[in-house]
Amino acid sequence: MKAQLRSELFKQRSTRTGLALFGAMFSLVLLAVLLHGFGLAAENVDNTSEQLMVFGRGEFLGALFAALLGAMSITGEIRHGTIRPTFLVTPSRGRVVAAKVSVSGLIGAGFGLAAGALAAGVGTAALRLRGIEVRLDSGDYALLIAGGAIAGALWAAIGVGVGALVRNQVAAMVGICAWLLFVEGLLVGDVADVAEVGRFAPGAAGEAISGQNQDTLLAPALALVVLTLYAVAAAVAGSLATSRRDVV
Amino acid sequence: MTADTGAANATVGRDPRVTLASMHDFPRGNVVSVQGLTKRYGDLLAVEDLTFALDAGTVTGFLGPNGAGKTTTLRMLLGLAEPTSGEALVFGRRYCELEQPAHQVGAVLESNDFHPGRSGRDHLRALALAAEIPQTRVDEVLKIVELTDDADRRVKTYSLGMRQRVGLAAALLGDPGLLVLDEPANGLDPAGVHWLRSFLRSFAETGRTVLVASHVLAEVAQAVDRVIIIDRGRLVAAAWLDELTRGGQTLEEVYLELTGGAS
Repeated sequence: MKAQLRSELFKQRSTRTGLALFGAMFSLVLLAVLLHGFGLAAENVDNTSEQLMVFGRGEFLGALFAALLGAMSITGEIRHGTIRPTFLVTPSRGRVVAAKVSVSGLIGAGFGLAAGALAAGVGTAALRLRGIEVRLDSGDYALLIAGGAIAGALWAAIGVGVGALVRNQVAAMVGICAWLLFVEGLLVGDVADVAEVGRFAPGAAGEAISGQNQDTLLAPALALVVLTLYAVAAAVAGSLATSRRDVV
Repeated sequence: MTADTGAANATVGRDPRVTLASMHDFPRGNVVSVQGLTKRYGDLLAVEDLTFALDAGTVTGFLGPNGAGKTTTLRMLLGLAEPTSGEALVFGRRYCELEQPAHQVGAVLESNDFHPGRSGRDHLRALALAAEIPQTRVDEVLKIVELTDDADRRVKTYSLGMRQRVGLAAALLGDPGLLVLDEPANGLDPAGVHWLRSFLRSFAETGRTVLVASHVLAEVAQAVDRVIIIDRGRLVAAAWLDELTRGGQTLEEVYLELTGGAS
């Protein structure tokens, strides 16, 4: 298993894909936080929950890009055909998927950590520049950043699982984006009865882990359990599907 | 089974007779044993009740028209596809049960199984890491396929012939006893085909075994000593090349006759 981990880590380091994803995430976090931090009317960013929502864009984008990275780690191999030599060297496909989950999880945690810290830092600076009092305490900051890292790791695992199930790279990535950017928004949107169920959705759980919107979403600890279950389920399903299906 | 890699360092240059690690103890007898192998995709029988075996030290041409089931057979042999029935064994085991598959079997199924943005050397490194093969072996196989100078360029800048050679280098990483190649000469220039043939011969002379699938007969006839021909998923001939051509016919004539391609 150690050998597969080393190999997967090296695969990630030896192309520019990870760096490109990180760059895109970094720019989007900056854009989102700057727009909200400077653009929102002062009375809309002067309480804790509103500020958490702005700073929480870090967690959200970290999770999204971690999921894309995880999905690409396997759909990229399928797309380019490297999955064949990979499985020839390691016929135990479950081991390959497990290594991808671990390595993507590690990098996803880094994505989430960086995005969470960047959003918190830039957001705080923006509000201070405008003379708006920042209401978050150190516990809130810790939760934003640590929660972002955890959500990134778990969403990366979900991405690997989805990628293994879907196999087609474009379909997997569009699916992940559509879910996180659109479907989740409906699930925890304005309809309270829907949100009652929707807060258990994986995207909402990721936001909850970093302490956002606690009136509607789950408590961080419960959200951690929920999102972990999603990650395990996705990884196991992806592993089983990969082991059972023929490699084309 | 760690390779005696020193000998593989031989410079090949224009002399294609690569010195490979001396043969120790790859099992004699049936290196590959395929028994009643069948693969069904819905209504299509891609491979039907196929039975054949390969002896150590031989180069076997696996021939048949496009769509005859050659690649499907190889994928089942290599554990990438599950047979509907029957079995395909390498060194007496299913591929998935081999303890160190890269040290026993090297295979190239497609000529372009690379990430375009990764260098040839890094492609080999990633595989070597997974197979726990020392990185020095990466340099050795690059030298064998004469790609050392281009190894650090990204694969997207490679010609098809160069990609074929990186693929072959990957197959050789574990210094295996069996080489399985699917259409290895695609994209090779005449010198490359000549090099490949000589390489396969010298590989087999060390007691190792080669199975090479192809539909291009000319490239095969000069390199193989055994021929397996399949057509529409079924075995139509398995014989030594000199047996098949004993009546004065060429391999091409025999092949066209057996596969119904003769006019």
